Amino acid sequence: MATTAPNNETAQNFLQGEGMQTLLKFLKDNGTLVALVVLMLIFSFWDESFFTPRNLTNLARQTTIVGIIAVGMTLVIIINGIDLSVGSIVGLAAIVVTMLMQAGVNPWVAIMITLFLTGVLIGIWNGFWIAHYNIPPFIITLGMMTIARGVALTLSDGGSVPVTDPIFAEIGGGFLSITISMIVVLVILGFVFFSQFRELKQKQQYGVAVRRQDVITTTVVTLLAGGLTLYAFTYRGIPYPVVIFAIIAFVGTFVLQNTKFGRRIYAMGGNEEAARLSGINIYRMKIGIYCIITSLSALAGIILASRLNGASPNLGNMFELDAISAVIIGGTSFSGGVGTIIGTVIGAFIISVLNNGMSLLEVPTFYQLIIKGLIIILAVWFDVLSKKKHG
Amino acid sequence: MGEIVLEMKNIVKDFPGVRALDQVNFQARAGEVLALMGENGAGKSTLMKVLSGVWPYPTYEGDIYLRGELKRFYSTKDAEASGVAIIYQELNLIPELTVAENIFLDRQITNTLGVINWSKLFAETQRLLDELHIEDFRPTDKVRDLTVGKQQMVEIAKALSKKADVLVFDEPTSALTDKEVEALFEIIRKLKRQGVCMSYISHKMEELQQIADRVVVLRDGRTIGEVTPMAEITLDQLISRMVGRDVKDMFPKGKCQRGEKILEVRNFEIDNPALPGQKKIKNASFCAYQGEILGISGLMGSGRTELVSGIFGAPPGPARGEIYLNNQPVHFRSPRDAIKKGIGLVTEDRKRIGLILGQSIIQNMMISSLETVTNLMGVINEAKERSLGQNYVNQLAIKTPGLDVKIDTLSGGNQQKVILAKWLNTKPKVLILDEPTRGIDVGAKVEIYNLLNRLVEEGVTVIIISSELPEVMGISDRILVMCEGEIVAELTRNEATKELIMAYATGSRRKGG
Ligand SMILES: Nc1ncnc2c1ncn2[C@@H]1O[C@H](COP(=O)(O)OP(=O)(O)OP(=O)(O)O)[C@@H](O)[C@H]1O
Ligand SMILES: [Mg+2]
Repeated sequence: MATTAPNNETAQNFLQGEGMQTLLKFLKDNGTLVALVVLMLIFSFWDESFFTPRNLTNLARQTTIVGIIAVGMTLVIIINGIDLSVGSIVGLAAIVVTMLMQAGVNPWVAIMITLFLTGVLIGIWNGFWIAHYNIPPFIITLGMMTIARGVALTLSDGGSVPVTDPIFAEIGGGFLSITISMIVVLVILGFVFFSQFRELKQKQQYGVAVRRQDVITTTVVTLLAGGLTLYAFTYRGIPYPVVIFAIIAFVGTFVLQNTKFGRRIYAMGGNEEAARLSGINIYRMKIGIYCIITSLSALAGIILASRLNGASPNLGNMFELDAISAVIIGGTSFSGGVGTIIGTVIGAFIISVLNNGMSLLEVPTFYQLIIKGLIIILAVWFDVLSKKKHG
Repeated sequence: MGEIVLEMKNIVKDFPGVRALDQVNFQARAGEVLALMGENGAGKSTLMKVLSGVWPYPTYEGDIYLRGELKRFYSTKDAEASGVAIIYQELNLIPELTVAENIFLDRQITNTLGVINWSKLFAETQRLLDELHIEDFRPTDKVRDLTVGKQQMVEIAKALSKKADVLVFDEPTSALTDKEVEALFEIIRKLKRQGVCMSYISHKMEELQQIADRVVVLRDGRTIGEVTPMAEITLDQLISRMVGRDVKDMFPKGKCQRGEKILEVRNFEIDNPALPGQKKIKNASFCAYQGEILGISGLMGSGRTELVSGIFGAPPGPARGEIYLNNQPVHFRSPRDAIKKGIGLVTEDRKRIGLILGQSIIQNMMISSLETVTNLMGVINEAKERSLGQNYVNQLAIKTPGLDVKIDTLSGGNQQKVILAKWLNTKPKVLILDEPTRGIDVGAKVEIYNLLNRLVEEGVTVIIISSELPEVMGISDRILVMCEGEIVAELTRNEATKELIMAYATGSRRKGG
């Protein structure tokens, strides 16, 4: 509901000023982004080793694993689903890919086989039960969570599997060279500004009101993010996992916003029966979406195994919680139909900034858990609050 | 007539992009039913939501007086405490709870420990239902299992149970059967004698003539003319107040020759999944032709909705039978199949299964026909999508501040137009409409009839279900009458009379009789 603000009092003139209003509106609309910046500022002042290119590079790389899963989780949560099996699939995929290579399979072939077996096939299995028998996704994926972990333990006999292949280790540990990284970042910045400009043009064409403030805020945010990236990657360049994550997030955003598939996802989440009566093949959509998330989880598992130079069957433990938290912190609604990938990416960064910062400050792990939980609750509470004032 | 109980002065209410109410003034008296009329989006529901605290103070401007006392409601609870209750246009029940729990939702009958006293709760509810002469359901029934009409009765019972002395009805009868309407009117008359001040929103003229004492018309958020006694105003005067011009022909009828047979349904049956052995649809056979509007009449619950959803590939139970499209046998396993073959269905229950609430107008409009705005890769061409959407907004005169606003914010009639646009964009060969004008104002109704006529001229076959006899008789070329899951009569436009249709619909006259 629109609240009509009293505008006749002189004392309030300052608060009514355009600058202040822009700021307030920005804070209200971008709560999670603001939270991320505030967290980063706090940690930067607290510990000087936080805001160094080296640590920021590490932080970005740490974010990718959960981030990639969270992109898939966003789709699943938008359609009112949930996938609890993602963490176990990370572990299973890591074991499968490393064992295949141990058996002498070419790394690329091993990756393909792993993506197919632990990603696509398990996704079809999950999706089939959910779509065909209408079993709540919570139950099916809870079952798969245990099954996948069990299979990983059985295959590896409970032990860990080392990686010897140097090419494979590059996936998780390698970097784009600094020069190429710089070029890439600049090109992306240019692209973002270009598409902003085009969107603006289009909006004017359709007669959609464009607020100067909005344009200013997006410009500032883009510049800041670009600057931060350039600074961070003076360390050694962009880590490969970050490249993969960025591509996945970009494709995800594009698909959700600009394709038939994306529109259908939102429609299903908003009202599944209406979507069905509008001609959407709910069955195929569900199987597809659960395939996407398990495949992304398998990919995350492969990258993790590569970075750690080996796999243990317990990899990915509790990742489902981090992924779900990232999605929810990022503003995707648990009641379906609402959510964005960019929000999820910010959510994922919040979680890894917390993890990274608290480890630097040597906060004991037990406390870390408590603080993380509290922050998640806080984030969602803030979100609910700002939506209420808004709506 | 009694004293002035309710007075609303200079009410202004803004939404982003629209001024829904603009200096509205009116008074209502004890023991009267004040009708509130106006086109879709005129602001009727908004006005009543201001009154009942849904839009709390100070999100609106202006003053509300109850018995001369200035009131500011910060919530619906506040309004209820002051004796204002409202029956909302949209159902607001919790499907998983029982009737009794829903009625006493915010004031459960408990003992001192806060434990619900079930027997007392059920007994209280039963007393209430007895008072209202409702026998079709019990306090212990789950709301989920009730038809929309009965759910509406639960809403009414809930509002009445609050013993309010200012009572608002926002299109309460849109889903009620004639019998239920009669029961409701009986209750209203009783409340009138008790001196309750009631305000009643409806698009149904006949109804208002029966029950309302005075009428006030809203147009574009303003009151048009004075509050006028119902007896002193003619139907035409009312319509021209509402629409702002004269409406000459309520049921325009295009001239069109019946063409080829497009759709044929043979021996269609749907089992009742809840009662094995019973059938929801029994042996239905009919044809629909190009260039005609086929009406389907019948009482509520006679199986009309089930029949058309069955044909559309979404039967409520296992279905059998043959369907021919252009003389080719077709088999629709899902609505998707049906849509691909050129069939469209505007569903009856807009809110539950028609709209995607919380999402934009353009998303709702395009969701059935994304192919028309995407390339081969499935990427949406936004410019094309928007110009198409804007076309429909202009063509159907959809009242909205833009294509990106949430569909929830539109008035009922405009929501319905968005749904029509959605189906028009699938370029259907056969368009089935299930109660398409329910809750829609006169002006928009005529627009919809004109649109249907135009579609028929363009070669679309139109099938329309309607509970309003004047409507179904006014616009159809042929009328099927259904009774208890069977098609019991097929009448031509000339044969059909109110009495004849009712005789078939109520089962007092059988096929060939
Ligand atoms: N929550 C909301 N947010 C934004 N705009 C709204 C909201 N609710 C109503 N409106 C707008 O206010 C105007 C009045 O709507 P309202 O629902 O009061 O109409 P109405 O007279 O009840 O129509 P109907 O006969 O279709 O029910 C419409 O233009 C509508 O789009
Ligand atoms: Mg209304």
